[in-house]
Amino acid sequence: MKISKHSWILLLIVFTGTGWIVTDNRYFKPKPVAFKVPKGWPQPVYDFSKNPLTEEGISLGKKLFYDGRLSKDGNFSCGSCHQQFGAFNTYDHSLSHGYNNSLTTRNAPGLFNLAWQKEFMWDGGINHLDLQPLAPITAENEMAETIENVITKLKADKEYRKLFKAAFGDETINTQRLGKAISQFVLQLVSSNSKYDRVKRGEASFILPEKLGYEIFQQKCVSCHTEPMFTDYSYRNTGLSLDPVLKDPGRMRITNNPKDSLKFKVPSLRNVAVTFPFGHDGRFFSLMNVFEHYRKNMVVSSTTDSLLARKLVLSNYEIGQLTAFLFTLTDSSFLKDPRFAPPRTGTNTNPPADIHQ
Amino acid sequence: MKTLCYLLYIALLPLTAFQLPERQQAPERKLRLVFHHQLGKERLETGKTVRNILGDSISIEKFKYYISNISLTNTAGKQVKLPAQYFLVDENEPASKTISLSIPNMQIGSIGFLLGVDSIRNVSGIQTGALDPMKGMFWTWNSGYIMAKLEGTAEALLTPGHRFTYHVGGFRTGMNTARYIELSLPPTNGSVQEIHITADINQWFKSSSEIKIAETPVCHSPGELAMKLADNYQTMFSIHSIR
Repeated sequence: MKISKHSWILLLIVFTGTGWIVTDNRYFKPKPVAFKVPKGWPQPVYDFSKNPLTEEGISLGKKLFYDGRLSKDGNFSCGSCHQQFGAFNTYDHSLSHGYNNSLTTRNAPGLFNLAWQKEFMWDGGINHLDLQPLAPITAENEMAETIENVITKLKADKEYRKLFKAAFGDETINTQRLGKAISQFVLQLVSSNSKYDRVKRGEASFILPEKLGYEIFQQKCVSCHTEPMFTDYSYRNTGLSLDPVLKDPGRMRITNNPKDSLKFKVPSLRNVAVTFPFGHDGRFFSLMNVFEHYRKNMVVSSTTDSLLARKLVLSNYEIGQLTAFLFTLTDSSFLKDPRFAPPRTGTNTNPPADIHQ
Repeated sequence: MKTLCYLLYIALLPLTAFQLPERQQAPERKLRLVFHHQLGKERLETGKTVRNILGDSISIEKFKYYISNISLTNTAGKQVKLPAQYFLVDENEPASKTISLSIPNMQIGSIGFLLGVDSIRNVSGIQTGALDPMKGMFWTWNSGYIMAKLEGTAEALLTPGHRFTYHVGGFRTGMNTARYIELSLPPTNGSVQEIHITADINQWFKSSSEIKIAETPVCHSPGELAMKLADNYQTMFSIHSIR
């Protein structure tokens, strides 16, 4: 008799306790993920305290990144112009394809090491990583959708409501959470395992042309393509003539300052072997085109970078060695990392989809 | 039995701990700001063709702006900054034209606010509520808020659909279009419950400079025209009445 009375009270305690735990979301916190800074790299500029990385947030971000419903007609996901095998550029395309057979006006850059980048786009017009997806989503020649419609579509999807709750604690779906989730995924895209990195870590050594190329690189290229990010994130006019159709003034479009005319962000050279075509409008289809530009074809004007005032003297020999070095910047483990692969492609052993079919 | 009661007490303790009422702040009361949109003396009616101060025949379709950083100064000159809140006042959303505030008990001498969004919110990623970029008051290609928007048509315009569109924004030094407004209240003995504020769209076209629709029908980026419009619209507010 006495024992059963005790059990009743114990049962009551257990019920109260579990009830309290279940109703209190804090006991179902998403699993935190630590952001690893590669050895010898600077501290990231992204403020992780405002958007703590979690397994649930990252996997939601990945689903959004590869979801065509973020576009007006369902055909264009972030991943359709940012392809893993091209280090998340649009592989082999000067400009990307957008809604209703349109073309973009600039070359889609590779996406990696974004935690170290303060400003986005070739002109640096976007000042926060979380905001970046809103530009392609709303651009008429890209995904051509409104933010409002995207949020409505996501809210109507039971699966998304579940995933947002798992990542953020409740089912609220808004622009801020959309941006944060996509950021959590793209922040994972860290490329730090090229041959160059392994050499720096003492795990591999350059062959002779690579070594010679690295020495030439340090004399002639490194002041803008600064290690270890291979860009100093500055905006420079490297003597690309104004395209008469695109008429792209570059950084000046953002600052309204004539001194910024024709300046574009210095791109990182990591994975440069797979991120062709090069240049803000993809006008250079090979590294050779780029070298020829720097040594012969540059249009030097008042805003051309002072480091290039007399173009860049490069011999055929130097170009050969530089090419060998630049190929050491390819991070093949990054290009094949299954964590970043489109959903349902498993270990990414399938051939890349041909978007011209 | 005693132990069990004790256990039960321990188990239930957290429940009460999280249900304690929030501590009372300093005595508070309500204040309502009511915005009246006008074109000169006329009440604004969207879609109605009217003449603006420069004699241009126009019809207004959209008129909205951000109000933030509200502060009150009492009759002795002491300023109280209200907690950070952002409001999007929209002619087409009548409810948005009344803003309800909780304020400390005070005799209000003047009210100050920012027309627009301060620069910190322009550089801190995606915001929520009135500042959600979904509201269409944010430039995605050149990060930053549109502080105020005025759109409509004018028959004489040679633009598609005879439209003029003024999206005024920009927060960087030299291009900052947020404007601080300070309005003094007429003296009163009673406690002010409502401040009615007039926003006169005529001021957009003629104040420190003249904006002729035919010459500049479009403003869609930070810069010189946006700055001129901002200098003009900072004079559009006046006290309509107090209650």
